[in-house]
Amino acid sequence: MLELIKENLGLILATAGAVVAAAGGILGSAIGVGIAGEAAAGLVSEQPERFGNALVLQLLPGTQGIYGLVVAVFIAMRAGLLPGGYVEVAVAQGWQLFFAAFPMALGGLISAIHQARVSAAGINTIGKRSEEFGHCMLMAIMVETYAIFSLLISMLLIFGVKL
Amino acid sequence: MIVSMKRLTLVGIRQEEGDILRALQKAGAVELISVTADDDGGDVSRRLDEATERIGRFSESLSAIRPYAKKPGFLAPAREETLERMQQDVGEAEAASDHIRAILEEKKQIEARLEKDRSTYTALMPWADMDQDMASIASTKFTQYFTGLVDPAAEAAIREQEAISAEFYGEPGNRAAVLACLKEDARLVTGFLKTIGWTDVAFPHMKGTPKEAMLALEQDEIAGEKRLIELQNELESCGVSAAILENAADALLIERDNLAADVQVEKDVSVFRLEGWVRSDETDKVEQAIRSVTEDYYTEYRDPAEDEVPPTVLQNDRFNTPFESLINLYSLPDARGIDATPYMTPFYIFLFGIMLSDTGYGLVLSLGAWLFLKLKKPTGGLKGLAMVLFWGGISTMVWGVLVGTFFGLDFDTIFGTVDKFPLLIDPTGNPVGMLLFCLLLGIIHISCGHLIKMKMCFEDKDWQGAVFDNLSWVFILIGLVLFALPMASTFFDPPFELGWYNALHLNTVGIGLILLGSVMILLFRGRDKKNPVMRLASGLGGLYNVTSYLSDILSYARLLALGIATGYLAMVFNTLCTMLMGGSGVMKIVGFLIAVVLLVALHLFSIAINTLGTFVHCARLQYVEFFGKFYEEGGRAFKPLQYKTKHVQISK
Repeated sequence: MLELIKENLGLILATAGAVVAAAGGILGSAIGVGIAGEAAAGLVSEQPERFGNALVLQLLPGTQGIYGLVVAVFIAMRAGLLPGGYVEVAVAQGWQLFFAAFPMALGGLISAIHQARVSAAGINTIGKRSEEFGHCMLMAIMVETYAIFSLLISMLLIFGVKL
Repeated sequence: MIVSMKRLTLVGIRQEEGDILRALQKAGAVELISVTADDDGGDVSRRLDEATERIGRFSESLSAIRPYAKKPGFLAPAREETLERMQQDVGEAEAASDHIRAILEEKKQIEARLEKDRSTYTALMPWADMDQDMASIASTKFTQYFTGLVDPAAEAAIREQEAISAEFYGEPGNRAAVLACLKEDARLVTGFLKTIGWTDVAFPHMKGTPKEAMLALEQDEIAGEKRLIELQNELESCGVSAAILENAADALLIERDNLAADVQVEKDVSVFRLEGWVRSDETDKVEQAIRSVTEDYYTEYRDPAEDEVPPTVLQNDRFNTPFESLINLYSLPDARGIDATPYMTPFYIFLFGIMLSDTGYGLVLSLGAWLFLKLKKPTGGLKGLAMVLFWGGISTMVWGVLVGTFFGLDFDTIFGTVDKFPLLIDPTGNPVGMLLFCLLLGIIHISCGHLIKMKMCFEDKDWQGAVFDNLSWVFILIGLVLFALPMASTFFDPPFELGWYNALHLNTVGIGLILLGSVMILLFRGRDKKNPVMRLASGLGGLYNVTSYLSDILSYARLLALGIATGYLAMVFNTLCTMLMGGSGVMKIVGFLIAVVLLVALHLFSIAINTLGTFVHCARLQYVEFFGKFYEEGGRAFKPLQYKTKHVQISK
């Protein structure tokens, strides 16, 4: 068993990286879309005609999950985990792929939750002043910037691994 | 361009005021300014309240029958009606609304009654086998009755009491009892009952035994349910009145706006005075509207005074107009400021394409927006939005060829070429190169913001502001690009040909520009300060701003990141669906069908989510990084008295 792990350590680390990236982003989005969704449902109870706007704001924290998915698939692709190509993954490269997942995992997890809080506050605001929709959306997007930077760093690190 | 506004003063004959206001509302060119105390408590205010209340009634009826009305198609354009027709519908709508509200009211009453019946029924259940008339159990001169629920454990204790004669009913777990005692023992018994967990339950005011009462309740429930179904059917048949109610509600909305304007007009016994804002190019329209009513009036148009704040109206050519909706989304410019629309439009389209950067997605987006415009014929903000997406889609198609993909596929795979696509730069093959390219675009964008500010400064005759506060930064930014060029070129394959660069000594020029800009800021930023030390300190503070420029420029890294996110999300979907097609025999066909359906759905989802992201992030780059350099917001929208409707469109 120990021997098997030792032989495939690079691959195992890369897989762990893919899991971490996907889990971080997806967890964050699941929590975030949930938080914003509660606020949206509350708004719709009073003003069903605001459903469209509320849905857009609810969706905003959903992107981190997608970014996490992209990073995870990319790690998997580079490590030859998807059909189409077997690659030798040495231990050092395994570690690289593993750590490359962390900016996205942590950045995605935390930014999604905080973005959701801004979104939820925005949903409450458009309940009172529907014309503020654009501004509320913009404020939520400010938080997403950091998820995007996380994605960027993770992707650069993944591309940078010499396989 | 910001349209200049005129302040209108109109004086006319009191009797003609109503007609003139209606004509002005039809023209839709005047925003009224209130010259009266808001609520004069007069006839007009009363009619205004009445109209508001009627609109409320109509909306209530409308939302009740909305589910049963004929639904317009998803892409059907808004219904058109003439105002006369809509006003004629008001009487009929009033009747329909009363009918609907009567149905709703009766439904509510029956539902409340049934609810009460059900709880009475449940309360009576433990007494079901009592064969006495409930009315007969009433306290007399000498006896006192107690009816209620009893804790089964306490039953024996009650039986033991000699002062009480008791009858027990009901299931073992749910015991009810009728107790009787002499009037003189009543207080003692009450005290005793308190100690053993007794709950008083009064019989409902009904005739007969509990059993009979329950039967009556059951029959009442059946009758009630039947009536509810009848009412529901009646309500559903009212669905046909939806169009009339919509017409009437909108007609009243127009009347309400008119009355709300009327309140703002100052009236005398014989004349009235109205003040408002008019676009300087629409004064003729106003004159015509008034003249269609009367010849006896006086108007005056003047420029806004220093302390007056006119509303902001933007006007652009056909290409730029849709992008005004992006400005509205942010904040209108100050009425004396600058309209950023024509400056922003090219950058918005350009940057939008890089972020989405997939030719297939651009194609779908443009086609979708075009179809939406053709079929739905939207107006106002929605039309602007669709146009913005249309142009964004075109740009995306172009950038898809230059840096991106086609539905996540490599163009090389499609055309069978080798390493020909993407034409400009491959973000996966050379991410750092693409990043540098994006930052360069950012520097250009920011510099243009400064150039616009310079133009504004020169127009204000503030050449010092133009040179020292803006040109200085442009120098620094250009110098930075020149200085970093040889370093950046090493990230490209092949590296740039730098012969011309060395021949022109551009490296030195770059350093020179950076120094020049820095010195300009250091010495002249605090040019209004007399004290040389303070002045230098202010300059140093200005130079410290370089950090904010750093973050501004780095912000353009999102161009690369969002591009990667779109392209590779599409690629991930393709890979997943290709896996499905891997079976053999029947499974191959089934897998293929599932894969096709899934591919369409996943790509549509990807287009939706990425377009949303691109739309807002591209807007952010304009609002924060670009507008931050020159824009003066704080205008308010022009809200002329006009036909504003909710459900139907007024045909001209």
